[in-house]
Amino acid sequence: MDTWKPVAVVKDISADTHTLRVTLDGEAVCLYNVEGEICATQDRCPHGNASLAEGYLEDGTIECPLHQGVFDIRSGKPQCPPVTTDLKCYDVKVEGDTILLRAQPA
Amino acid sequence: MTCPDTPMPEAAVAAPIRIERRWPKEGHTRIPNWVYTDPDVFRKEMDVFFGGKTWNYVGLDCEVPEPGCYKRNWIGDRPVIMVRTESGEIAVLENRCAHRGAQICWQNTGKVKDFTCPYHQWNYDLNGNLQGVPFRRGAMGKGGMPKDFDPKQNGIRKLRSVNRGGSVWATFADDAPSFEDYCGTEVLAEIDHMLPGKKLKLLGYTRQLIPSNWKMYLENLKDPYHATLLHTFYITFGLWRADSKSECIPTGGGAHSVMVSHNEGKKKTEATSEMSRFRDDLELLDLETVTPRAEFNRGRVGGAWVFPAAQFGIQANSLKTRHVIPRSPTEHELVFTYYGYEDDDEEMTRLRLKHANLLGPAGFVSMDDSEMLNQVQIGVGGYPNGQGVVEMGGRDTQPADYMVTEVLIRAFYQYYREAMGL
Repeated sequence: MDTWKPVAVVKDISADTHTLRVTLDGEAVCLYNVEGEICATQDRCPHGNASLAEGYLEDGTIECPLHQGVFDIRSGKPQCPPVTTDLKCYDVKVEGDTILLRAQPA
Repeated sequence: MTCPDTPMPEAAVAAPIRIERRWPKEGHTRIPNWVYTDPDVFRKEMDVFFGGKTWNYVGLDCEVPEPGCYKRNWIGDRPVIMVRTESGEIAVLENRCAHRGAQICWQNTGKVKDFTCPYHQWNYDLNGNLQGVPFRRGAMGKGGMPKDFDPKQNGIRKLRSVNRGGSVWATFADDAPSFEDYCGTEVLAEIDHMLPGKKLKLLGYTRQLIPSNWKMYLENLKDPYHATLLHTFYITFGLWRADSKSECIPTGGGAHSVMVSHNEGKKKTEATSEMSRFRDDLELLDLETVTPRAEFNRGRVGGAWVFPAAQFGIQANSLKTRHVIPRSPTEHELVFTYYGYEDDDEEMTRLRLKHANLLGPAGFVSMDDSEMLNQVQIGVGGYPNGQGVVEMGGRDTQPADYMVTEVLIRAFYQYYREAMGL
């Protein structure tokens, strides 16, 4: 799990939503462009199974489109009901234009 | 903005339910057959009784042992949910989404973190608060709810509820009296007798659909007169007899009632020998089926009808609640919930279950009732202008210390006429 894998290039991240859904080892991951800083968490909301890439990024948080659960993108911590569990976060490295991910140890 | 081009249909005028019916002049000693068939009467009963200032049985707290455990039930024809919340308290919620009205809970029991309506996935916490609305902000920048949409104003209604000794009750009326005042001393004493504050243990359910009006079941539980005649099992094996020491006490203005008698064992007396169905030569091979082990009630059997639709009682060692769910003017569902106390020993639990064989859809005793009520429904259904006569034991509504009486039915219809304006 300590190998870095390329998943996308920076400009693939939507300029409108600042998110992009990719897959890493078969799991859906959401990439975020938080004012120039690239972050990554699991894409599936642990509450209602929605894709966080379709959510709303605001002040370093992502709001799930389904039930308005909010997570801190950098820590994965839930911020308000109905979400209560942490998101899995990924280590991110940008080499040139390429975004590389590495799963964080659980 | 209104939709262009289409003409608006004329609005229907909502009218209070008026029932053009005339009660027989004899009053509460007569029951007109149309009370068991008329859809307007049924609709009014749902509103006046189940939706009105009554306290309705919802379940036992042992049915929802942990936060997130729920039980679906009905109060009249209104679906509700009993759920244990995060704080450990029990809440009773309307089982309908605040959005379009779908039942948010489709299963009879289960355990969830929160409730999500299957239709548009509106999501509620265990107290019914709206937590999230899918696409509240639209999709692809379009649509979504108005900015001033307030989730706090769009939750699921939580009913007033109480937990009495492990039994959970709810009311739709914010101005209903307290549960204690609603029940009154005698009924409350019966509930407390059955549920003395000990932890309860759920043993099981039986459910059945009975093709008769719901009030026929209520009357059946207020009618000791039939018990010794219809239920040959009772008299043959000595569980209940016409000469048993008994009490019939109408309470709550006739809405509730308390009916008790004492198990005296098999014996032949004048009262039983007159009954053609009494068979002295029949022997029950497994006498344990009808032999209670002595416990808190000291042979006292019976219980309380808590208007509108619940009964608490003990039969041999079987502890149970009966709950009536009206389905239509001519159908009701009957649910028995069997329980014990957490400190029962294994033997007592076995007896409680064994004696439950007397009750329920195939019960040695209860099966007579469900069949009989259907026969009554068929009889009255064809003759809506006919009437029943309830004069056994006199024409009054005073408490009786004997069995052969219809006083509880008379007292009920005295209450019913007043409440329904009939």
